Amino acid sequence: MMKTIAITGGKGGVGKSTMAILLANKLLSQGKKIVLADLDVECPNDYLLLKNSSENELKKPVEKVFAQFPYLDKTKCKKCGLCVQKCRFHAIFAPPNRTRSGSGQSPGQYPIFLPELCSGCRLCANICPYQAITMKKKVTGKIYQEKIAVDFYLVTGKSKAVLEETGPVVTKTRQYAETLGKKMKADYLLLDTAAGMHCSVIRGLLAVDLVYAVTEPTPLGAHDLELILQLIHKLKLPVKIILNQADLGKKELVEKIAKEKRVEIKYRIPYSRKLVEAYSKGKLQEIDIL
Amino acid sequence: MSVAESIVVASGKGGVGKSMLASSLAILFSQKKKVIAVDCDVDAPNLHLWLGENEKWDEIKKISTSERPIIDKTKCNLCGQCVGVCAFNALSIDHQSLVVNRFFCEGCGACEEICPQGAIKMVPVKNAEIRIKKNVHGFPLVSAQLYPGETGSGKVVDAIKNRGENFFSEIMILDAPAGTGCPVIAAVKDANLAVLVTEPTPSALADLERVLAVVNYFHIPWGLVINKWDINSRFTKKVEKKYQKQLLGKISYDQKIFRSIANLMPIMETDLKAKEEIKTIYYRLLGKINF
Repeated sequence: MMKTIAITGGKGGVGKSTMAILLANKLLSQGKKIVLADLDVECPNDYLLLKNSSENELKKPVEKVFAQFPYLDKTKCKKCGLCVQKCRFHAIFAPPNRTRSGSGQSPGQYPIFLPELCSGCRLCANICPYQAITMKKKVTGKIYQEKIAVDFYLVTGKSKAVLEETGPVVTKTRQYAETLGKKMKADYLLLDTAAGMHCSVIRGLLAVDLVYAVTEPTPLGAHDLELILQLIHKLKLPVKIILNQADLGKKELVEKIAKEKRVEIKYRIPYSRKLVEAYSKGKLQEIDIL
Repeated sequence: MSVAESIVVASGKGGVGKSMLASSLAILFSQKKKVIAVDCDVDAPNLHLWLGENEKWDEIKKISTSERPIIDKTKCNLCGQCVGVCAFNALSIDHQSLVVNRFFCEGCGACEEICPQGAIKMVPVKNAEIRIKKNVHGFPLVSAQLYPGETGSGKVVDAIKNRGENFFSEIMILDAPAGTGCPVIAAVKDANLAVLVTEPTPSALADLERVLAVVNYFHIPWGLVINKWDINSRFTKKVEKKYQKQLLGKISYDQKIFRSIANLMPIMETDLKAKEEIKTIYYRLLGKINF
């Protein structure tokens, strides 16, 4: 059975991607088969940290993710304004009426769709009384697959540049990685999530076997660790902590939270110049310190 | 709107120094102008910590920026139309019962609209709280916390920006979250100027270019700060060359910054090198703003 482990942390820049790769290295050295999925689809970086993929370009996508966005048929639109009124994302805009005031029944303007705010929910197309809105498929993300080592595949999700709802790209990327994992009979699926606690992060955490919460020994790290532990608790998932830069700052801040919440600090990673250099050169697969 | 100017600090990548820079700039501007600081990282807000503040707020108010469907099971006849209409696969029929996956639901209301039985009603969810404090530096900070497990962070950002505009101020400093999705779009979209922070690593540069796509989409003028520039000066040169026109300044790597934040000491109250480097950035910024 393939085990799924998520690596998260709340705060950005605490070393989620680094720890995900170090964990992959460790499991690989134990002879395990690994799929690592980079679910930070807004800012995926894992491919830049691994040698075989450090040409700084993701190659041809193996799959595309689509969502549907509204288009207006002006010949059918009666400018009733229902779509503007019903859109909960404020993604449909009715320009102010330019006709002279006092005319009383001057029609409104045609609605304008703001794609950067559109969630692709299709509500407007469903409710338009004149069927003036049609939905058209647009690419919202791409999924890439790379072979890092014999038993180590990297799957990367990358969302389109200005996209409101990136959650579905996360889910599709995770599904792709799960299918790949099953096909190659992987022992572990590692999910590297984005920073924060929003829907994209949650989609990476749902129903995993274990979560590693990565943090740093500062009030910032401690603050965000408490938040992400609350979320993980809500999702009823088992969790362990990885304390990065463990020898700098104030580790007692993190130790206090771990004790209170009864969460084990599984790994303590000291600051290491070697690690920083491997990170910036994209050679993290050579580091075996976990 | 009572805010004359707004500067958003963003980076794409997390942990590259957004909050450090945003807090320092807010403190510097507050010496001459009326400042309002807005922490748009509503998932994991940290700006108050960088300002040397604790968790005591002057005002906390619960808000609702998202809605969730509630199903009246006495009316639902399991026709499944809502399941088909949901663009996010958040609805399913399981064991003769309609269930909502709240983590997939975006609160769009398409299910409520289509239900022929009137069995679905969208109800507001208290998904966040707004927190306000006049901080030790004398200017107000508006922050928010999205409750763990809730959605709608972009609209929470809209709400705190509106709240911030209620204060009389001459300049608003916005600290954007990591990433490029809805809360970042909400933070960036109507700013007058974006200050983008990066580090000399391939990851930070890739993420800078991702967030730059958002900034350019909204036609926002921007400047660049390279943090920890000396951890890889060759890479820094490459970045500097590429973005020569936008470069506002560089900040040196210093483990003491890590220690100072570990003790909740704002950089502007230390005598670290970074303090002078940030001041230089501040003076260059002043030249780009018309007060």
